[in-house]
Amino acid sequence: MMECLAHKSEIADTFSSVRSFSYLEKKSPIMDHEKMNAFLDSLIDFKHSLKEKTKTIISFNERIEKITWYNDLDEECYMLINDLISAIKDLHSSLIRQYISMNHLRQKGIVKEEIRYFKDSIDNLKENYQDLESVFFFLPKMPDFKETTKQLSLV
Amino acid sequence: MTIYCLEEFKVQFDKLNSKKSYNNLEQEIIDYFFDKSYIDLCSGVRLNNSEDTPYIKKRLSGRGGFRVYFLLIIKKENVYLMFVHPKTGSDGSENITDESKAFLYKKVLSCIKTNDLYYLVLNDNKNKLIFKKT
Repeated sequence: MMECLAHKSEIADTFSSVRSFSYLEKKSPIMDHEKMNAFLDSLIDFKHSLKEKTKTIISFNERIEKITWYNDLDEECYMLINDLISAIKDLHSSLIRQYISMNHLRQKGIVKEEIRYFKDSIDNLKENYQDLESVFFFLPKMPDFKETTKQLSLV
Repeated sequence: MTIYCLEEFKVQFDKLNSKKSYNNLEQEIIDYFFDKSYIDLCSGVRLNNSEDTPYIKKRLSGRGGFRVYFLLIIKKENVYLMFVHPKTGSDGSENITDESKAFLYKKVLSCIKTNDLYYLVLNDNKNKLIFKKT
């Protein structure tokens, strides 16, 4: 008889717990519409800001390439290009850190495509500062290279 | 523009073109270089600061994609494809060294002088490259 009472009480407790939890879940589920919408909104905001950032980097890449087509640059231009190379290197290391901080999103397949385009644009940025260094500071110092340019102008 | 290439370009092109992962290379080359004026081709990174004979590194095919090195001799309306490499995949590399850029530059000059080049044309369907020894 005592045993049965204990069971009855246990069942009643379980029922009470389930009922309370069920009521709370109906009233305020974890994935309620508001919370879900807020989550999706922040995801859309993140996607948008990443796309905008990628667009800006792509436009920098195009502008950097155009610099290699300028003629008759003076010493001051070369100094500015040198400063530009340093600034791009600095920007690149900040962007790479940002990319690494997105690893957990990438691994879960969240905004994967946008992160991939972002990474491409920063890879191209790195390639571009290396190219600027080659074009303005390294290749012109190679004697064979200068001589070839001279000879090609006579072909 | 008349299109030529170095042996280095042809060897690299044949190698990449035989691989499935790079099977868009041929079309990319056709789309970018054929039926174009020199003004269309004056973009990318100019490596040699020359107005008349620009030595150019060009990115092809958007993401990752290929890097093509070529020379334009504007007064002759000639294009010389010098080298190509993919950025990603099994044969991918980030960049080529300055020494390699200088080597290719010297090589193209020597091949132009000795006429040791391939002349590039398209097949009848305009979707395949044909290399003819000059």
